[in-house]
Amino acid sequence: MQSSGNVTSQTRIARLKEVVIGRALLSDSFVLYLSVAYFVVLWVFLPRLGSARNLSNLSSNIWPLLVLVIGQMFVLIVGGIDLSQTSIMAITSVCGALMMTSGLDPELFAANPLWGVFIGEQGGPAGGSVAAAPVGIAFMLAIGTLIGSANGLAVARLKMPPFMVTLVSMFFFSGLAIFITRSENVRNLPDAFLAVGQNYLGRVPTARGPVGLVPYSFFAALALAVAAWFVLARTILGRWLYAVGMNRRAATVSGVPTDRVIVWAYAVSGFCAALGSVLYSSRLGAGRPTLGENVLLDIIGAAVIGGISLFGGKGKVRWAFYGVLFFVLLDSSLYMLNLKFYTVNIVKGVVILVAALLDVLRNRIRLGWAPTGRAVTA
Amino acid sequence: MNMRKLLLIVALLGAFGVVVGGLSCSRRGSSEDQLTICFGFQDLETEFWVAGHKAITETLRAKGIRVLERNANQDANRQLEQIRDAIAQEVNGIIIIPQDGESAVTIVGEANRAGIPIAVFNRPPSDRSNPALVIVADNEKIADEAVAYMAKVAREKGKGRKWKPLIVVGDLGDRNAVARRKGFFNVMERNPDLFETPIEVPSKWDPATTLANLEAALQANPDVDFLFTSSDFLYPQIKAVLEPLGKWKKIDEPGHVILGGLDGDSTAYTLMKEGYVDATGVQDLFFEANTIMEALLTAIEVGQKTPENWMEDPGFALTQENMAERADEMWGYRVLHDE
Repeated sequence: MQSSGNVTSQTRIARLKEVVIGRALLSDSFVLYLSVAYFVVLWVFLPRLGSARNLSNLSSNIWPLLVLVIGQMFVLIVGGIDLSQTSIMAITSVCGALMMTSGLDPELFAANPLWGVFIGEQGGPAGGSVAAAPVGIAFMLAIGTLIGSANGLAVARLKMPPFMVTLVSMFFFSGLAIFITRSENVRNLPDAFLAVGQNYLGRVPTARGPVGLVPYSFFAALALAVAAWFVLARTILGRWLYAVGMNRRAATVSGVPTDRVIVWAYAVSGFCAALGSVLYSSRLGAGRPTLGENVLLDIIGAAVIGGISLFGGKGKVRWAFYGVLFFVLLDSSLYMLNLKFYTVNIVKGVVILVAALLDVLRNRIRLGWAPTGRAVTA
Repeated sequence: MNMRKLLLIVALLGAFGVVVGGLSCSRRGSSEDQLTICFGFQDLETEFWVAGHKAITETLRAKGIRVLERNANQDANRQLEQIRDAIAQEVNGIIIIPQDGESAVTIVGEANRAGIPIAVFNRPPSDRSNPALVIVADNEKIADEAVAYMAKVAREKGKGRKWKPLIVVGDLGDRNAVARRKGFFNVMERNPDLFETPIEVPSKWDPATTLANLEAALQANPDVDFLFTSSDFLYPQIKAVLEPLGKWKKIDEPGHVILGGLDGDSTAYTLMKEGYVDATGVQDLFFEANTIMEALLTAIEVGQKTPENWMEDPGFALTQENMAERADEMWGYRVLHDE
């Protein structure tokens, strides 16, 4: 009797472990649960974490980063990496700003190679017109997509390592952005453009004045997320992307146009980098040749935390969102805890490392439970 | 299985450590009625910023004020997020060293909307559209005075010959760099008989860029004999370029390049004392730090939410002529002697 009781309790413990590990650790929403738990625990001690102003800050910090991480995810899914997103942000920021600015200081810009040809004291070609903002944004997105496509072509057709291609792009375009502007920031951007990064839909009154509710950047990120989800989950291109990331040779043998798929992935990444540039540039109120210089760690970190694999074949839009959510929450909370700035960097590094280790652990458990393995698709 | 357990334990311990450590840090020494000031700086790359950071944080803490330090690592967007974060924590005041003049305008606007007084230290906003307390050195005048002394030396030594001047220019997105360049060119324009067309070497306030650009400029123009650096923190790079060319000479040695700079750090003081540098423009770092802190604390005390006052540090030029009398007014000298 006693032995059968022990067996039952052992079975229960085993089942409990399976539920805890299986439902939580292996769940697609593991990072979301973690974020919610982290938020709730800290909120008890730091009530300001849940204040309207802080939530508004979190919201405004999440969307531009999410746009970049979604772009990076496409490249990671095909087993690549895009280090050039930051320089695409810089070059599109200055090109778009020069296109739509309504005035430039000759003292700062007269030595510019484009002075008198593309730009002048009256600003850029679209400066001052009602269409300045849409023209500027379209110009930025076109340049970003073009650079991304060029990266993709080099990776797919020339069979160059993605790390090397995008590293060279990163150096080249960040240098070009500084060369074009002579390291000057471009100001006098149209109000309609600035509204994209600075305005909110709805406001909540607080003791320190009204706080924005939903930033306009949310709508840009939402539209992109829905489109990305649709492509990955509902189209043949999405299946091809995962297939290429899981095994490029097998995909080629199966008739997947792998080169075209890779070019697509990098083009999307370039497009997203340019869209991120729109959101960050408008938020800061200027075209900046150094925009995004330090954001690469955040992009890769958020992607890894979300569970998007660095080895390819694995990634979902909502994972990207969960990763960004946790990363931004972590960043904000660490500052709210008033840790020293170097401690914040150390902790962020450790968290990314732990996330990568957890990814390995989850893969091992998953493979142990389902030896045949399967692609994790959107 | 052991590996899994180990990883889980590491992950959980890490998370627990962050939360407990952070909470204990955040709760230590803070009380509801304690004044809290956020000090956001763009980086601590040069001696000037390190000394400024030390002066501000130590003085505020000595007054019993809680200081939230935020390092943006030269990222304007991160600095904006950090200041928004500090506003959410309902700090009583903000002091920033902005990444550049443009981002300063945006950040000041955020503080204005939240009704939190903000002070900008040493690097002014690019326009006055948003009210702030600003302290900045009169960079044009200080540079003018330092270069004027160098020109005087050149005239005495040259006996009618023309000199080949070179200026190491700062990041022209920074108004301080623009003003220093202007001060240099004022002297060039006043002395057309003394100088050939100046060579401009961009530094972007970056030592590696300075080294590369200066090397290239001196390869192309080996006859440079008059050099002004827009910041003293670039002297190590200047020495690294001049020394192999046989141009790193003391004032009384033949082939000496007339040298000058601006900031007033301890390297400039040491080089002046050793006789390599002729003059340096001095910003009064401690005056600037004290003035801006006092202005901010006064604004907080009287309940001003968007105070506006642009204050100026007149500074001065320390030269080989007045060094004996005025060296102790130089912040670099004081930093050196404190150490």
